[in-house]
Amino acid sequence: MSWNDVLTMLPELYLTGAICVLLLFDAFAGTRYRSAMHWLSMLALLVTALLVVSAQRAIPATAFSGMYVDDTLAQILKLFSILSVALVFVFSEPYLRMRKMAVGEFHTLTLFALLGIMLLVSAGNLVMIYLGLELLTLSSYALVALDRDSPRATEAAMKYFVLGALASGLLLYGMSMLYGATGTLSLPGIAATLPVTPHQSLAVFGLVFVIAGIAFKFGAAPFHMWLPDVYEGSPSAVTLFVASAPKLAAVGMALRLLDVGLHPLLPYWQDMLAVLAVASLVIGSLVAIVQSNLKRMLAYSTIGHMGFLFLGLSAGTSFGNAAAVFYAIAYVLMSTAAFGVILALARAGFEADRIDDLRGLNQRSPWFAGLMALAMFSLGGVPPLFGFWAKLLVLQSAIGAHMLWLAIVGAFAAIISLFYYLRVVKVMYFDKPAEDSALLVSSDASLRWVLSLNALALLALGVFQGPLLDWCLRGFGG
Amino acid sequence: MTIQLLAFYFFAFFAVLGALLVITLRNPVHAVLSLVLTFFSVACIWMLMQAEFLALVLIVVYVGAVMVLFLFVVMMLDIKVAAAREGFIRHLPVGIGVALIMLAEMVTLIGLRAMQVAPPPNPAAMHGESNVAWIGTALYTQYLLPFEVAAMILTVGIVAAVALTLRHRVGVRHQNASQQVAAVARDRVRLVSMPAERGDPGAQP
Amino acid sequence: MITLAHYIVLGAVLFCIAVAGIFINRKNVIVLLMAIELMLLAVNINFIAFSRFFGDVAGQVFVFFILTVAAAESAIGLAILTLLFRNRRTINVAEFDDLRG
Repeated sequence: MSWNDVLTMLPELYLTGAICVLLLFDAFAGTRYRSAMHWLSMLALLVTALLVVSAQRAIPATAFSGMYVDDTLAQILKLFSILSVALVFVFSEPYLRMRKMAVGEFHTLTLFALLGIMLLVSAGNLVMIYLGLELLTLSSYALVALDRDSPRATEAAMKYFVLGALASGLLLYGMSMLYGATGTLSLPGIAATLPVTPHQSLAVFGLVFVIAGIAFKFGAAPFHMWLPDVYEGSPSAVTLFVASAPKLAAVGMALRLLDVGLHPLLPYWQDMLAVLAVASLVIGSLVAIVQSNLKRMLAYSTIGHMGFLFLGLSAGTSFGNAAAVFYAIAYVLMSTAAFGVILALARAGFEADRIDDLRGLNQRSPWFAGLMALAMFSLGGVPPLFGFWAKLLVLQSAIGAHMLWLAIVGAFAAIISLFYYLRVVKVMYFDKPAEDSALLVSSDASLRWVLSLNALALLALGVFQGPLLDWCLRGFGG
Repeated sequence: MTIQLLAFYFFAFFAVLGALLVITLRNPVHAVLSLVLTFFSVACIWMLMQAEFLALVLIVVYVGAVMVLFLFVVMMLDIKVAAAREGFIRHLPVGIGVALIMLAEMVTLIGLRAMQVAPPPNPAAMHGESNVAWIGTALYTQYLLPFEVAAMILTVGIVAAVALTLRHRVGVRHQNASQQVAAVARDRVRLVSMPAERGDPGAQP
Repeated sequence: MITLAHYIVLGAVLFCIAVAGIFINRKNVIVLLMAIELMLLAVNINFIAFSRFFGDVAGQVFVFFILTVAAAESAIGLAILTLLFRNRRTINVAEFDDLRG
């Protein structure tokens, strides 16, 4: 270990220190300083983001004997993860206070998960992939169960835990086979050894388990069973988190494993990802139509979006990878906006998580109905919003990789999925509000302002998508 | 057949037997104890591979701590055995079928022919150091970063377990030892001087 | 002579028993957790065997980390299990019907 290693991973080290300070602060300061906890967490996020941006080193740089890699891809994913966690904190603060769930552990566990994400997207070794992933998922299990007296939340946490642990087991079994085939755990080392190893079949065998593990973590069909239950059962503040930054981590993990480590096996994993993509697109777009719970509908729509993301990944080209990263960023910003509106409408004893709960929102609060409509149109891929460009890019990359049939399936799924997003818009604008309904938007000023900015960013990034796309392409030497 | 091979088959038999008992036994306490048997047998097999450090860690950490935690939870929750067994018989043939097909596929795909190799001499012993020193050197040099991350994961484990299960019940009176120790007679007993009471003759019966 | 194949087959057998256990005991959460421990044990056998036969330390170091993480994981899993039992008075998955998954 040298001083240079420490400087290279300064953002993570700072975040670790900040988490430890916050843990002690929370333990000793008592409940009277709850809002201080919120602002200190925001400050920690801000400094971490500044440290990521200010890294003016020659990239790609590695540290700690190749365990940690800092490159453009890692920086993009880290910055947007930090941004989405900040959005989670702002949107969930009023909700947590109302539910008496305002415990400091929400902040510390979320920051632990963010640390896991940052380590995961910078991993240069199978050990770091595993440890970063576990740091993220263990914190997520605890967050889902944080509403301790809710039977639904604990039930969702148990399902999440059992299936998540099973996925880790599968991933590890695959990793052990990759180690057996190549004799190394370092990702570049695996890529260098694979073409010359005599145990190629062992590596392909391990690849199947690795892909199954990745699909589990994405929530791609047919490994999606946990996703609707976790989205519906968790407190909305936690759903917002689970639906945002972990998706960026999943893309980072998939790219590190498949693009950096297993690129010599491209012909094998390309087909597997294509099958997963088709299954996710079909299940995501068809099952979402019949849902009456908004969080559950968004969960199935997530499965569909993961299918689109796999379209980009399965191309295996640098353009396809950039499209997948772009898609993940778009998805995260769209889902924070959609769940942000749900959180803004939720009150004590009223979750605002059924589609019918939004009836007549336009009459009560035209501005927030407009923001929700913007999020829904973007999720559905209506031009010129952010979501449209994301879908267009992954479809282009699939066509570019000579997988026209896959692009056609994707286009059909996009059209079908538009239907259920439009249903939400119809309910908000054309249905009468129920007599006893009291749709009130939270009066929390920072929630209102930041949510508005988040939703308007979907429009702005849709119109000016060029710089972000260039940045993503630069992450892959394009 | 060498003595090592005999020992391998002996321990492997008990490891597999324990594993089968774990998934079939009716009583969760017995299942946990069978898992202990499996862990113990596998630790012996790791000894055969001269991975002494990990074999000991498996026994100390797993059997000593994790399995005891399992036992503790099983006994604390007082799980109704019969209720949790529904569907066991129904799923049994499917489970056995899936396991056997999977095993056959795995053994075929792994390519065992290439693996009929004898182990090379123990690398740690060749450098004249023990297995512990061999792992320790790697852990504190090349794998320093993962080692620190593992510490963070254990911290998450502590924070999560405490956040989820610690309950501050209201109305419970706690003993505050430091206050008790700090107590001085001066604070507890107040001596006041009062004028002597004079009996009221009118109130006498 | 014990060959690499012996160890890998043992790992595969334990892995398949774990998968079968998950199939059979879908109703009983505590057995599910134990089956997952078995699965990790199978992975560890693979790693140690490969490490021994390559003469490479990395596999054994990975096992050390898997053991560490699995300890933290079972602590969290059992904490969630006690919460669930407190809320529902059962660990029978069939009775978990609030969520339709």
